[in-house]
Amino acid sequence: MSEQTVATSKVAGTWAWAFQRISAVLLIVFLAVHLYASHFMDVGEETSGESLITFDEVSLRLDQLLYIVVDYGMLSMVLLHGLNGFRTVLFDFDMFVKRKKVIDVTLWVVGIGTLIWGIVILFPFISGAGG
Amino acid sequence: MKISSFKWLFGRNSEFWPTNMKTGMWAWVGHRLTGLALVAYVFLHLSFISTASMAEGGADFDVLMETTSQPLFVAMDFLLVIVVIYHAMNGLRVVLFDLGVGIRRQKLVFWVTMAISAVLIVGGLLAIWHLVFPEGVA
Repeated sequence: MSEQTVATSKVAGTWAWAFQRISAVLLIVFLAVHLYASHFMDVGEETSGESLITFDEVSLRLDQLLYIVVDYGMLSMVLLHGLNGFRTVLFDFDMFVKRKKVIDVTLWVVGIGTLIWGIVILFPFISGAGG
Repeated sequence: MKISSFKWLFGRNSEFWPTNMKTGMWAWVGHRLTGLALVAYVFLHLSFISTASMAEGGADFDVLMETTSQPLFVAMDFLLVIVVIYHAMNGLRVVLFDLGVGIRRQKLVFWVTMAISAVLIVGGLLAIWHLVFPEGVA
């Protein structure tokens, strides 16, 4: 069998396929909770009379576990789903199928690095540093 | 499916030439493009928050919120709403097909998910409208 006839799903693997479906459904749930928690629960909005979101309001929100769980849970799911989807797109091209190992390692490094970055940039809000 | 399994990528004989694409192909191409755009957005989103969270006392964050409430950014937010809703609804259709639901009526399912998307997008527009014009400008 020549390389040209190998389907992307075969290259990407069953776990990647299954995970993409599971994370997709989870993301729809996360998105609904995120939108509701961000725009309809009105937590912290009493701290200022303005409609603009401020550092202090976000800080007040992140005092609650719900916001931390939703933010970090959604971040990890988005990164896994997004980079896994990007991986599928890459494996549609033979030039990337040939470099499967390099791509897999790179995507894991980028994903975990970005996750740590995303976790760290919320710290000032959670601790309310200077706020 | 695989890009290299398509005979022609460009030109009038290409499977990707607009008049040669059927419903499922449009859905697939749309899913790919919106997916790539959303990955780019995640990194853009984190960059914005990270520049803002570096400032002491959150002054920069408040400035950023003021900037991103400008009409241009709100318009881009609405574009994001459209992209997310399309990707989510078409993705739901893909999941349903993988579970064996609705494959025989795949075109109908596509248009039903697009109808739901349209309703959600109008809802998103109304929500954003309310945020931009809290006084209720028609």
